[in-house]
Amino acid sequence: MAFIEIRNLFKRFKNVVAVNHIELEVNKGEMLTLLGPSGCGKTTTLRCIAGLEKPEEGDIVIDSKPMLSEGFVHPSKRGIGMVFQNYAVWPHMKVYKNIVYGLRLQRLSKKSVKERALEVLELVGLKGLEERYPAQLSGGQQQRVALARALVRNPKVLLLDEPLSNLDAKLREKMRFEIKSLVRRMGITAVYVTHDQAEAMVISDRIAVMNSGRVVQVGTPEDIYGRPANRFVADFIGTMNFLAGEVVRVLQDDAHAVYVRTEFGETMLCRTPHSMATTPGEKVYASIRPEDVEVFAAPPQSRENLVRGTIVHKAYLGNFLFIFVSVNGNLIRVQVPHHLPQEEGQELYLVLDPQKCMILS
Amino acid sequence: MTRGNILLATLLWSVIAFLVVYPLSILVVESFKIAETGTWGISNYLEFFEDAYYLKIFGNTLVLSTLVLLSTTIFGVPLSYILARYRHWGKTVFTALILLPIVLPAYAGVFAFIIFFGKYGTVNLLLMEMGLIKTPINFIYGLHGLVCIQTLHMLPFIALSLSAGFTNIDPSFEEAAEVEGASGFWRFFTVTLPLCTPSYLAGAVIVFLWPFTDWLTPLILGQVDYLPSIAYINIAYHFTDMHRKYMGIVAVVVSSAVCIILFLLAKWWVERKKYTGLSKGTTSEGRVIEPGPLIKVGSYVYMVCIAILVLLIPAVLGLAAFSRRWVFEPFPTYWTLDNFRLILLETPLLIKNSFVFSGVALFFGIAFGLPAAYLIVRTRVPGKDALDFVITLMLAFPGMAVGVSYLLAFWQAIPLATHWVIMPLALFARRLPYFLRMAHSSYLQLDISLEEASEVSGAGKLRTFLNISLPLLLKGVLVGVVMFFIMAFQEISTAIFLYRGGWETLPIGIYLNWHRGMEFGIAAAMAFLMIVVTFILLLIISRIGGGVLKAAWGPGGT
Repeated sequence: MAFIEIRNLFKRFKNVVAVNHIELEVNKGEMLTLLGPSGCGKTTTLRCIAGLEKPEEGDIVIDSKPMLSEGFVHPSKRGIGMVFQNYAVWPHMKVYKNIVYGLRLQRLSKKSVKERALEVLELVGLKGLEERYPAQLSGGQQQRVALARALVRNPKVLLLDEPLSNLDAKLREKMRFEIKSLVRRMGITAVYVTHDQAEAMVISDRIAVMNSGRVVQVGTPEDIYGRPANRFVADFIGTMNFLAGEVVRVLQDDAHAVYVRTEFGETMLCRTPHSMATTPGEKVYASIRPEDVEVFAAPPQSRENLVRGTIVHKAYLGNFLFIFVSVNGNLIRVQVPHHLPQEEGQELYLVLDPQKCMILS
Repeated sequence: MTRGNILLATLLWSVIAFLVVYPLSILVVESFKIAETGTWGISNYLEFFEDAYYLKIFGNTLVLSTLVLLSTTIFGVPLSYILARYRHWGKTVFTALILLPIVLPAYAGVFAFIIFFGKYGTVNLLLMEMGLIKTPINFIYGLHGLVCIQTLHMLPFIALSLSAGFTNIDPSFEEAAEVEGASGFWRFFTVTLPLCTPSYLAGAVIVFLWPFTDWLTPLILGQVDYLPSIAYINIAYHFTDMHRKYMGIVAVVVSSAVCIILFLLAKWWVERKKYTGLSKGTTSEGRVIEPGPLIKVGSYVYMVCIAILVLLIPAVLGLAAFSRRWVFEPFPTYWTLDNFRLILLETPLLIKNSFVFSGVALFFGIAFGLPAAYLIVRTRVPGKDALDFVITLMLAFPGMAVGVSYLLAFWQAIPLATHWVIMPLALFARRLPYFLRMAHSSYLQLDISLEEASEVSGAGKLRTFLNISLPLLLKGVLVGVVMFFIMAFQEISTAIFLYRGGWETLPIGIYLNWHRGMEFGIAAAMAFLMIVVTFILLLIISRIGGGVLKAAWGPGGT
């Protein structure tokens, strides 16, 4: 059984529905990320788990204890640790007092409080800074204080609300790995909220992609990237070329392979992700990631999904080159190694790998 | 830094030097004058701090200040929490009512309380009629009465600054405490309240200084053993005894010094402690919760009680204004418009004076305040911070200090005090911070790139100011204008020293008529009229946008 179960959760603010009847399970010891654009309801969901918002409907079960259906359980009684987006490190308390605040509320001896606090300080790398005020710390250090405070009571669940969004890019990347390995080591069940897809890919065991109050897809990072459930997910995670078209034929021997006639007239061999069943005549998008498009100066022999186009723009990104190829007026983004000489206006041939080209609705 | 800016700074500084620095230094100089010999020395101060009597009144004043601060805090903390955090019906109405004493003149409150709670006032008479008591209860004469009346008058300052504090705390600080296992009171005392200390202090210092400023309330209640009242009596009533006059001036200087020192200490502490959060996305509303039914009822009862006490002031003055000979009866029995006929038709001079003096002062205020705000916010002219500092200090200066110093400074060397223009000039100097802070804070909110865009488009500084800045500042400036007018209109502490026959304003008229005993109906009618004018002006402010006022008088607004 899952460690956290979210059942039919519904929350609205006045007329705006923030969370629209979602179901979600988090397994013991796993790090699940709620990923989505701003306003998709991810933070509200997290705050419902924490007990900082009271949902109108539904229930949240943490470690087989319902938080709502048998009377509202106050946040202070849920046994959770939380890292806030702005850290919420109390500015009027020194680092040490910030960290032991929650410990002191438990009936522990002064000695064990101190031991535990020092242990956690060591863990997050803040040793020696106990007597500082938050204003004397850098953003990254404040972030660690917030993390230490959340971990010090050995919470059953750790909630992280965009914890890295206030850090600069380099530090953010470093902290991703630190948080991940720390949480792994302690074996805590964690729910992580972010709008940064790269962060989600790195840090999560599983990702729940949310959009306008609903969970659109749940899966491992590989699932989400490789087999997106729909256009929204495919577009939100990474970059995807969408070619509007219509299914013309489903292959007899392989129900997952179909032919799609795109708007620019070519017929493409595509795969259907998951167990999606299609019928001829259906409007779909033939979709392919920029890195799955092969580029040829001259037409290669007998390849499926071969189209001819002209380079419109190119963008140099250091480790690779992005080119925008116009195929009968449709722009296709292609990622190519930067050593290939490509000029704007040049004609070339693209092969949209039939194994990687998928149809999405 | 342009030549124009330097010219402007010089101009503004000379005004301040002439109207603030010069008279106040004359005040200090005079306090060193020795009456017997006509020479200079510190003997006045020595006497002040050696004489048991002066030491006692100094101690009394400190005790009164402490008690008033204590009681405003005890009543103010729950009040501000209710106002800031609970979602309830009529929030605007209650807020307005509870903040009302800020704009009501202090003497109006004293008069109303004497009529209502006095020895044979309404409450005592009612209680005796009902047979509950035999002899009247002493509600107001004594330290307890002073504390009550001054508490009611100063409560809004605590409420305003604390509720701004409660509103501005980043909600996540409290949520973090809840998640960490703290609930209710523990969270409030360990996180919420400590985070509010800077804003609390900003209000608390104004409250604490009030007994060092308010000479009128103790005087009227016959409790004169407080620093400002003694100063007033020594200077105003005993002018033939030069020594007492100088001792009065010493008292004024001492109370001014206390005010300035404490004000600066608080300002310094607040700025040092100001907790700047990292938060970007806090709502302007802060953390508002729906209280449980019991708490809700309790908070309504609490707010209604305070609102009734506040409303008592206009209500009682109104009853007195529309009646005559309301003595020894709980409510008036003889109703008349005579009082109003007298003040409106027979002696309209006072009303005219009030409007003219406040109006002229307002004109000075705008002419000085707008350029000053520009200079302080937008330029880097040397000395502009000092300018801001001096003007802000005027908030802490007792009105009496301004009045006495003008009298001393503009008498012989510069005989300005013989012309009526001294009245608006003094009002201008005393109330200037009220306008400047509004202009200042709206200027701070005005994005500089809007002005830069105008200059890049080819407009000069003046044109930019007139076409871009002024229209955008208008709201804040208008609220400042009205606020300034209200405060100038009810000014008495400065004017009482400067007026001559024919220059009486409404507040002075109120004071003088109250002295005539049985004529308190006229005084009440004048006070009532003043409250009506204030009300109308307040309505105008709320129309323009009360939020602007709150922004300027929040934690940073001292």
